[in-house]
Amino acid sequence: MKRTLLLLLWLATAIPAHAAPPSRIIALGWIAAEQLLELGVKPLAVVDRDDYRRWVVRPALPAGVLDAGSRSEPNLELLVGLRPDLMVTDGTLDDLVPRLERIAPVLNLHPFSNRHDNASSARALYLQLAQGLGREAYARQRLLALDARLGQLRARLSTRFPQGVPPVCVIRVGSPTVVWLYGDNSMPQAATRALGLRPGCPGATGAWGVMQRRSVDLAALGDGIVLAIAPLEPAGRLWQSPLWRAMPFVRAGRFASVRSTWTYGGVFSLQYLAEAMVEGIEQLKSPAAGGLP
Amino acid sequence: MTTVAPRRFAGWFALVGCTALVWLAPSWHDGATGLLRLLQILATGPGNDIEAVLFWDGTLPRLSVGLMTGAALGLSGALMQQLTGNLLASPMTLGTSSGAWLAMTCGAVWAPALLASHPDWLALGGAAGATLLLGLLTGLRRLASLQLVLAGMALNILLGALASAIALLNDRYAVGIFVWGAGDLAQYDWHWASWLAPRLILPLFVLPLVARPLALLRLGQEAAAGRGLALAPTLAAVLLLSLWLTACAVAAVGLIGFVSVLAPILARRGGARSLLAQWLASALLGALLLVLADGLAVGVGHWLADSVPSGAAAALIGAPALVWLLWRARGLPDAPVEAVVVPSLARAMLLWSAFAALSLLSITVARAPDGWHLVWPDAAIAWLRWPRLLAATAAGAGLAVAGVILQRLLRNPLASPDMLGVSAGATLALIVWSAVSGVAVQQGGWLPALAGSGLALAVLIAIGRRLAWSPVALALVGLSLSALLDGIVQFILARGSLDVIAVLAWLAGSTYRVGSGAALALAIGVAACLAVAFAARRALSLLSLGDNVAVGRGLRVARARAGFLLLSALLSGLVTSLLGPVAFVGILAPHLATRLGARGAGAQLIGAAVVGICLMLLADMLGRTVLWPAQLPVGLCAALLSGGLLASALALKRSVP
Repeated sequence: MKRTLLLLLWLATAIPAHAAPPSRIIALGWIAAEQLLELGVKPLAVVDRDDYRRWVVRPALPAGVLDAGSRSEPNLELLVGLRPDLMVTDGTLDDLVPRLERIAPVLNLHPFSNRHDNASSARALYLQLAQGLGREAYARQRLLALDARLGQLRARLSTRFPQGVPPVCVIRVGSPTVVWLYGDNSMPQAATRALGLRPGCPGATGAWGVMQRRSVDLAALGDGIVLAIAPLEPAGRLWQSPLWRAMPFVRAGRFASVRSTWTYGGVFSLQYLAEAMVEGIEQLKSPAAGGLP
Repeated sequence: MTTVAPRRFAGWFALVGCTALVWLAPSWHDGATGLLRLLQILATGPGNDIEAVLFWDGTLPRLSVGLMTGAALGLSGALMQQLTGNLLASPMTLGTSSGAWLAMTCGAVWAPALLASHPDWLALGGAAGATLLLGLLTGLRRLASLQLVLAGMALNILLGALASAIALLNDRYAVGIFVWGAGDLAQYDWHWASWLAPRLILPLFVLPLVARPLALLRLGQEAAAGRGLALAPTLAAVLLLSLWLTACAVAAVGLIGFVSVLAPILARRGGARSLLAQWLASALLGALLLVLADGLAVGVGHWLADSVPSGAAAALIGAPALVWLLWRARGLPDAPVEAVVVPSLARAMLLWSAFAALSLLSITVARAPDGWHLVWPDAAIAWLRWPRLLAATAAGAGLAVAGVILQRLLRNPLASPDMLGVSAGATLALIVWSAVSGVAVQQGGWLPALAGSGLALAVLIAIGRRLAWSPVALALVGLSLSALLDGIVQFILARGSLDVIAVLAWLAGSTYRVGSGAALALAIGVAACLAVAFAARRALSLLSLGDNVAVGRGLRVARARAGFLLLSALLSGLVTSLLGPVAFVGILAPHLATRLGARGAGAQLIGAAVVGICLMLLADMLGRTVLWPAQLPVGLCAALLSGGLLASALALKRSVP
């Protein structure tokens, strides 16, 4: 944290002297890539570039961005050759930072931790990065638009369902037998709250707010709303199985799938998640609170 | 017979009792009402109650699939044993189930549609491919021999390494596969149960047709041929049946080891003599063993509020059971000592320099956004490159030296840290240590690793003493330890904690995160061990000649042997703590050194170390360039490179009479 602050300080003081902010920036993490793109900065290279396009999807990665190797092991020799001005990481490569700093200045963000609120931290980190790159005004404008959009979605839900909707739990499937639930301090849960809804996933979880469960354990969610994030293929035939159809929330018509959205993203992933969730809730057979149909 | 029968019945009774107990225990907390409720559900169907549906569509199909796959694996193992006349042949020891598993992994990554529509044919293709490869390696004439099992076990490691390489590179897809890879029996409908039933029952009608030829085959291949039996069609039919049973089991539930080895051996020990008795007893025992292991997995999973893969539970039960059976075994076959053709001095020099030049050249190969280059690394690259190269080469040298020591000490051409499970012991200790202490697995250090490798060696020595150092017994202990390791690793992976990627990278032998200090420490440690071994080279050559000779020349055999064992355990521990288990380098390097003319113990030690270094340099180059800009771990590349070399050497040796 101290190092991050120092670097930000360095960036703040160094930039006016050099006139131009860093332009050859490499994102050594998907959140880093996302934040840069949301600031209107095109990174020179991104780790696991092709997987980013498949899993994160929004914000879209422009053409011509290079692949910098894998997220856990970026290609250091390639990084040397690319001669970056700045490399942004997102807390998963802490042990590599001393080596990375010999290649170029490193801005090491720590977006996910169980010691802070991940959603508000995402906002702060976005602003910090904007300050460092001299784009603070633009960032504030984007954040205002984000809040306005979230308010708009919240209003849309409350006009459509004036009597309220049941608690919402967002899940992702790993296989027919394994699911992940997004609980406290996860981005999907922050999006749930931003929409004025009650979270329905059970509580305590680790730094990323996610917990792994057996798919049969979903029965414990009762008849609250369950939204599964695409892709759904990993669960295969589970969706057609009698066991799935007997799940209380499926029987109550309160299950929907939502389009592929990154669940470990930065501040704007709240908007993408909220949009996907509202679309999902509007598809439900019986979204409203109260008695079963 | 009268004294054996009650004991035998007691054994069956205990097994059935345990299995029933494990499965019924969860419903006991409700007492009699719980059992009544179960009966009611069985009589009337599940209705709408979620608990009843979970029982009807979760528990019951799980039990059925477990019984069917267990029986299939047991029967498949029994057929394989009868076919080869080899007590240790089974889909697990011959690498066929690994072949099926590799095919399924490839399918999951590159042909998901094919995997979804025809998993059985995909798995059968993989199993048949592995068997063909094994046939190429050993030849049909050597079915009953030790080479079959030893080559099979090496193949098992090689195919397993390939499958994990593919899984590692596609970690997003593989998360689901990993749970399934350990053999997850969890079910959520009757799909697999009804898929398996016809596929397993119909082929059984072939059994009566092959019964007579198989019975004749037991008299020996010549005797069978003498009675006018056409061997090839029978062999092919039985082999195909066995492969099919394995393939169906792997397709339905993933990789489950041990059942196919243990069930037939237990059936024989239980007194099953005739073919029919062996088939029945093996199938029944396989079914019971697997369902018992699965029941335990479910019970422990409930207790931990976590999913425990059934295959991991099977390995946890199976590995000690196999070691125990080996402990009780008598008269296992011995490996023939093969004469090595030593090349002339000029030719040897030429080969050495070619090998060394190639390895040095590999350092200059690099890729960049604009294509391939041959450049000596400049200062900007060198500081990044040298710690990983030093760690990799030191590891290669260390494993090679450990291989030379173990091969000479145990007078076993297949001894090496990976084949004997010494590396697996170190890995296991580090993973358990990391899970208990919370330290990252790479930071576990060499002490727990040494404890693990030392313990593995102690088990090996205890068994080796009893069985006159039978190579196959030692290799089987190694296999058991490695499978035990796999089970525990799969369990940890299935828990889905976030350091899975780190553990996988370490297991695959990545040098990416090795710092300069750690690399230097490893190099110094290996160099010191090599120096000690070289200084004691006379004792090592005496020990490899036999205890009597060594005593006659005035060597204190017990002390020397203990010292060398400690040295090899230390080397394996040092290497494993930094790079994880690296397969095949330790077995290949000593042989390659001998082939290249290093005959005496001292020359072989130095020669093998040089070969180990060169192999790792080549492996590092492959890891850096093949999938650029992504990188493959050097340990994995070294295993594939050396495994491939070993397989082609075996195949070549066979074709030259």
